[in-house]
Amino acid sequence: MNVELQINNSTAPGARYVSWAPSPCRIRVTNPAGATGTTATIRLTSVSAASAGAVSFRRGTTGAFATSLSLTVPVNGASVPFFVAGRFGRPSINDGDVTIEARFGTALVGSVRVMVRIRKNANALTPGERDRFVAAFARLNNQGAGRFVDFRDMHTQVSSPQAHGAPGFLPWHRAYLLDLERELQAIDRSVALPYWRFDQASPNIFTRDFMGVSDALGTVQFSSGNPLQFWRTDGVAGINRRPFFPTNTAPPGLLTEAQTLALGSLFRQFETMEGNPHGSAHTSFGGSISSVPTAAKDPLFFLLHANVDRLWAKWQRQLGRFDPTVAASYDNSSTRVGHRLADTMWPWNGVTGGTRPPTAPGGTLAAGTNASAPGPSPRVADCLDFQGSILPLSRMGFDYDDVPFA
Amino acid sequence: MTPKKKAAREPAAEAKPARKRTGKQSMTLAKSAKASVEDRVAAIAELPREVCGSDANLEAVLALLSDASQPLDVRLAALQALQAASFSVVAFEPCRGAYTATLRKVATDPDPELRQRVLGILMREKDGFAQKKLLDGLRDPKKALLPPEKALQLLSYDVHSDAYPVAREIVADPPNPTARREALRLLAADADSAPLFAKVLRDKDELAENRQIAAAALQSLRPEALQEHAREIVFDASEYPEIQATSLTALTQFGDAEAVLGDDALMKRVDTMSGGASIKVKQSAKRFLNKYGA
Repeated sequence: MNVELQINNSTAPGARYVSWAPSPCRIRVTNPAGATGTTATIRLTSVSAASAGAVSFRRGTTGAFATSLSLTVPVNGASVPFFVAGRFGRPSINDGDVTIEARFGTALVGSVRVMVRIRKNANALTPGERDRFVAAFARLNNQGAGRFVDFRDMHTQVSSPQAHGAPGFLPWHRAYLLDLERELQAIDRSVALPYWRFDQASPNIFTRDFMGVSDALGTVQFSSGNPLQFWRTDGVAGINRRPFFPTNTAPPGLLTEAQTLALGSLFRQFETMEGNPHGSAHTSFGGSISSVPTAAKDPLFFLLHANVDRLWAKWQRQLGRFDPTVAASYDNSSTRVGHRLADTMWPWNGVTGGTRPPTAPGGTLAAGTNASAPGPSPRVADCLDFQGSILPLSRMGFDYDDVPFA
Repeated sequence: MTPKKKAAREPAAEAKPARKRTGKQSMTLAKSAKASVEDRVAAIAELPREVCGSDANLEAVLALLSDASQPLDVRLAALQALQAASFSVVAFEPCRGAYTATLRKVATDPDPELRQRVLGILMREKDGFAQKKLLDGLRDPKKALLPPEKALQLLSYDVHSDAYPVAREIVADPPNPTARREALRLLAADADSAPLFAKVLRDKDELAENRQIAAAALQSLRPEALQEHAREIVFDASEYPEIQATSLTALTQFGDAEAVLGDDALMKRVDTMSGGASIKVKQSAKRFLNKYGA
């Protein structure tokens, strides 16, 4: 007997990536040889090394997850649905480091290797994770000629009102990061965007092998093996970044995670984090990251914003603020276009002129290999339920290492 | 199956606010000459959201920044609060005119750190006043507001061909090694400088970081030339390991895969290097071999 396992309802290798939020899967018998009835009982288990990722299973959209799952599968080839989720606290380190095994009795009748792909604390990445991320990012930049140009052009002075100073700040940047992450994954599927926890010392980030070391002038230096040495934006080589704090410590004056999460239980209270810690994290440096028009020139920008997004995700999980129809989940009082729940967001909507910027770089938001939400032209409302807690189809396919699904 | 909606969890109690002071209290403390510098700096860090709350608030923070009699840490904190506030672009827009005018004023402040930070902010906003001041200073050191290396670095935020002649002069006759490095970096966007970068890359007497800048510039201006140079450097046994590692990184990241895979001699050479003595070269060689499947 043989079975086929479809992860994220697909047999494509690119779909074999899961996070803490459950991924819809299917199993079907492709070769019934050895079966004695019209159905066969197939047992699914997660097999991996202790240091690698691990997954759990459940039959439907509700209920508890288990480390194994027995399914009754028709032998006529009809598929049976089930769900797979990364086991919280057990993210993968390498691509495909978890094997889902399907057994009929004791016989192995099918298997598929998956990755529990999770956004992690950049300070704690393994050298392999770090190097893959850096290589993909450098490739995206491609010495200033790559697809990164669009991401640079999305975050400028002209486009800033679409993304800052109003409630859409958090949803807009969530879509922006996801767009970038999916482009990185088009280069290397094993890459997830790491975050810089700016309220903690992160000495492993500010090294020559990772985000670089700033000299006294603020010119960032890289090791000879780090492809970010070829980084280029706006036609200019290199990165300017001058930390105003010792980089083996956290910047002073920023709200801690606990303080940020305690800003208030309503979104309109929480969104004040745009000033501190967000703005204060930016201005804890001199150099391009400290000014809106140039901030996205520095790859560190994306690690900083991944942490801003993680804080929002954690606040959402803490208070159950995923449902856009619940007033406390969002502040829909803005009169500015692009900041109300029903508004589509620039530049993915392609709208230019009037209250939108004159150009819309980058086109629509690409679907991920493991999730298609929030869609090609997301509305603000589409960016709240990132784990699919309210509607499974809203799942965006990313998760943070310290924000569980439930 | 229709997905079941989960009810959003209502908080048991309102979360406690993180900050102990009101905006007004923070502003009062920030301005207080009697308070310690440390307390004033802490209060100013709480101000980004209050800065544009009223004309009086904006004027007060701008006054702290521009008043040379204030402690430097207080002035720097005021600048940082204004910068953080400027991230809320729409709310900050009414403040921008006064902010820019104050920055221009402080650009000639006696304190070099403040000058440097302020000119950096202005240059990132592509401010013509700042650009002219920096170029004037490079042409005539008596007018310089910043050391030449810093001026060159800041000019790179808005590269105009006006800066190229003076950058070339500095490469040829540098006041210090860092200024030469920054001049090279500025010229990396100048197509006419490709021959200069080829020369710097192959000159073993050059500083390693200048050669790395040259490799990056050449990869961008003449990628096919860099690939050739990188190959030659990989085969040059007398080359420095750092430059060989950079060359391998260039070939790994940006090499023409078809040409590399068809180059048996190169593949063999890199295979040998992967077992060599230099850790940097060994790591870069392994990444090369991982990429090209050997």
